[in-house]
Amino acid sequence: MSQQAAIHTESLTKHYGRVRALEGLDLDIQPGEVFGFLGPNGAGKTTTIRTLMDEIRPTGGRASILGMDTHRSSVQIRNHIGYLPGDLALYPNLTGRETITYYANLRGGVDWKQVEALAERLHSDLDRKVGDLSSGNRQKVGIIQAFMRQPEVLILDEPSAGLDPLMQREFQEMMREAAEAGRTVFLSSHALSEVERVAHRVGIIRQGRLVAVETIPGLRSRAMRHVDLVLDTAPQPDLFAAVPGVREVKVSGRHVAMAICGETGPLLQAVAGRYAILDVSTQEADLEEIFLTYYKEDGTGS
Amino acid sequence: MMLFLSSVFTKTVRDNWRGWLIAVICLCAIFLLAMAIYRDIDLGVYQSMPEAFRKMVGIPEEADVGSLAVNAFVGSYGAMVLAAMALAMGSAAIASEEREGTIALLLASPKSRTRVLLSKIAPMALLAAASVLAIWGAIYLSAASLSVSIAGLDVGALMLHLFANSVFYGLLATAVSAWAGSRGAGVGAAIGVMIASFVAVGVLPMVEAAEDLGKPFPWYYFSGGEPLLNGVAWGHVAVLLGASAVLAGAAVVGLNRRDLKAQSVGEGWLKRLRSSPAVRRTIGRLGASARVSSIRAKTASDYQTLLVITALYTFLIQGIMIGPIFAGMSEEALQSMAAYPEAMVALFGGGDASTPQGYYQIETFGMMAPIVVMIVTIAIGAGALAGEESRRTMGLLLASPLKRSRVILEKTGTMVVFAAFMGFVTFAGVALGSAVGGLGLNTGHIAATCVLETLVGLVFGALSLALGAATGRKAVAIFVTIAAGVALHLFNGLTVLNDRLTGWAWLSPFHYYLGHDPLNNGMDWSHAAVLAGLSALLIIISIPLFQRRDLRQAG
Repeated sequence: MSQQAAIHTESLTKHYGRVRALEGLDLDIQPGEVFGFLGPNGAGKTTTIRTLMDEIRPTGGRASILGMDTHRSSVQIRNHIGYLPGDLALYPNLTGRETITYYANLRGGVDWKQVEALAERLHSDLDRKVGDLSSGNRQKVGIIQAFMRQPEVLILDEPSAGLDPLMQREFQEMMREAAEAGRTVFLSSHALSEVERVAHRVGIIRQGRLVAVETIPGLRSRAMRHVDLVLDTAPQPDLFAAVPGVREVKVSGRHVAMAICGETGPLLQAVAGRYAILDVSTQEADLEEIFLTYYKEDGTGS
Repeated sequence: MMLFLSSVFTKTVRDNWRGWLIAVICLCAIFLLAMAIYRDIDLGVYQSMPEAFRKMVGIPEEADVGSLAVNAFVGSYGAMVLAAMALAMGSAAIASEEREGTIALLLASPKSRTRVLLSKIAPMALLAAASVLAIWGAIYLSAASLSVSIAGLDVGALMLHLFANSVFYGLLATAVSAWAGSRGAGVGAAIGVMIASFVAVGVLPMVEAAEDLGKPFPWYYFSGGEPLLNGVAWGHVAVLLGASAVLAGAAVVGLNRRDLKAQSVGEGWLKRLRSSPAVRRTIGRLGASARVSSIRAKTASDYQTLLVITALYTFLIQGIMIGPIFAGMSEEALQSMAAYPEAMVALFGGGDASTPQGYYQIETFGMMAPIVVMIVTIAIGAGALAGEESRRTMGLLLASPLKRSRVILEKTGTMVVFAAFMGFVTFAGVALGSAVGGLGLNTGHIAATCVLETLVGLVFGALSLALGAATGRKAVAIFVTIAAGVALHLFNGLTVLNDRLTGWAWLSPFHYYLGHDPLNNGMDWSHAAVLAGLSALLIIISIPLFQRRDLRQAG
C-alpha cells in the first residue's frame, strides 16, 4: 500500500426503513487531495458526511478516516477534523467570537491569530450575534471554526452556501492552500463550477450510489458541452456528425449548434479544414446533463 | 372579504389544540380528585383561616364542598393554567415565526399583517372558549358522579370570567410580543403581570387602608366580584374584554409599524437596555450574558435566567412568606387545622396542618417546591440532548473530540448543581420564614427535606434527559415527563387515600420524598438513596440510548 487513505469507505450503506439513502459506497481519498463530492439534492451527500462524522451509523459497510474507524475511533478522529455541516445551525444568542470560543475550548484551544486572520480574510464580524447575521455571514463563522485549527481533514457540506462570488473565490483559495499544505478536503457540492475550480478528483453520486469517480481533466473529456459555431457559408450537416462525440447537430443557415462529449479540438480541426470559423461559443452542460452522460454509460439508470 | 384567513386560522388551531386539551384534562382530573377529597373532610378549617389568605387561594366565606373545589381548583389553578396557555399562544403568534424565519414567507402572501395577526389571535379565543366549556361540563359531571351539590353556585358566571381572564393575558402577551418582536418579552410581561396581580389582589386587602389598591390589578376583575357566588360581574367582565380589545388593537398597531426581524433573537428593546452599562452589569450578574468556556458553563449560562427567577420565587413566596402567614393565624384556626382529615393532608404529602411543619409541607414542600425544582431540571434535561437536536446544533457540537457520554455528563453536571441550588434556596427561604414567623422549625429537618426535594427534582430531570436521549424530540421529553410527574404525584396521594393502594406507594418517586415526613422526622437516608439511585440510573441509561442512535437531522 502506497499511502494510507485520508478517507476510505467500503460498501458504505445506509437505509432508513425502505429508503436506501446510501448504497455500497466505495471511496478512497488521498491526503493532500481536494475531493469534490457532487450530486443533486437528496443524492446521499449529506448522509455520507453524517456517517463519516458518526452522527448516524451505517446499515452496512464501514468507513475510516486517517486509518481509524469512523464509529469506534470517532473521538480520536474528531481531533483531526474540521467540519462544516450542511444547512448550518449555530446558537443564535452567541456572538461569532463566543461561538468560536465554545467550539475551540471543546478542542483544547485555538491560536486566535489564526482565527483573526481567517475572519479578516472572509470579512467576518465576530462581535455580532449569530442570530443577527445573514446566512452568508453565519456561514463564514462556520467556515472559520472548521479551518481554525488547521485540521488534517476538512469535511465541508455545501460550504459556499450563501457566500457571495467574491467570498466564494476567497474560500476556494483557502481550500486550495489547505490541500497544498498536505491537508485533505472533502467537499460536497451541487455546483460543478465550484468543484471544478478546486477539486483534484470528483465523485458523482446519485440516488445513493456512486456513479463515477473522475479526475477533473477526465470529467472534462467526458463532460458534454454545447458548441455554437458561426461559419462563412452554410455547411453540410454530415461533416459534424462524423466527428466522434458530437450529437444533436442543428444547422440553420451559417449557424451550427451541437452537443459534444470530450474535447473540442478534433471538431474545430475538421471544420476549419472546410470552412472559415467566424465565431465559436461553448457552454458547459449543466450538472444534470453530466449525470446523464455517466448514467447512460453506467447502465444503472432507471 | 373574510377578516380571518382560514388557512392561518386552521394551522394555528392545529398547532395548539393538543396543549390545551392536555391542560384541560389535567385540570379536570385534579378537580375531580379535589372534589372527592373535599367531600370527605371537615371544612370548618377554611372558615377560620385569615380572610386575606382565603381570598388569595380563592376560598369564599360560606364554603361548602362544591364552592371550595370549584373556586380553589378551577377559579385559581384553572385560571392560571388557562391564562398561561393563552399567553404562551399569544406570544408565539408572530414572534415565534420571526424567530424561526418563517414569517417572511407567510407575509409574502398577499395578505395584510393585520389579517394574519387576527387569524392567529382568533384561535386563541376559540381554544380558550372550548376549554372553558369543557371544564364547565366536567364540573357538572364531577358533581353529579360524586353527589356533591353545586346548586347554589353560578358556575357559568365563573366560566365567563375565566374566559375573559384567559383571553386578557393571551392578548397582553400578544401585544407585547408584537411590539417587541420577542416571544420572551411577551411571556415575561404577561406572567409578571399575572403573578403580581394575583398576589396583590390576595395580599393587599389584608392591609385595611390598602383594600382598594387591588383594583388596578387585572386579577381583581377576575376574582374580585366572586362570580361563583354572586353571578357575573358584568362591569368586571367588560373591563377584561375591553382591555383585551385594546390590547388586540395595540398588537395590530405594533406589528404594522415595525420592521420584521430576519430569523433573529436580537430583542430590540432588550438590546437598547443592555447598551446601558448599569443594566448590562445587572443582567450580566443575573446570567443573561453567555459563557462559553465549556459545555457545563454554557449550559449554566443558558438556564441561569430561569434559575434566578425560580429561585427568587421559591425563596420569597414559597419560603419566607409562609412563616408569617402561619404565625398570623388565629388559635381557632390552628385548632381546626388539627382536625384536618388525614386523607386531605396526605394528598399534599402528609403532616399535621396545625403545626408549622405540616403547614409548610402543605404550602411549600407538598407541591410547589418540587414543581419549581422540576421546572429547572426538566428544562435542562430536555434541552440537553433533544433541545440541541431540535435546533440542529448537535452535529457541530459532536464534531468536537468528545464522547457523546461526556456531553451528557457535562450537561447533567449543570443540572445537578442547579437542582442543588434550588434545594439550598428553598432551605434558606423556609429557614428564614420559620425564623421570621417564630415557628421554630428544626434546621436540620428543613435541610433534609430540601435535599430530598432536590433529589426528586433530579429524578424527573433525569427522566426528561433519558427520553430526549432515546427520541431526540424535545416535546416528547418535556410532555411525557410532565405527564409522568402529574400521574405519579396523584398516585402517591391516592395510595394514602385508598387502603388497597397503600402497598403500592413504593412505585411513586414522591413517596421517597415526603413519605417519611422529613420535616418532622429528619432525613431518611434510604429514601434519599432510592431517589439518588433512580436519578443516576436514568442518567446512566441515557448514555447508551443516546450513543447507539442516529442523530436526528431536522427539527
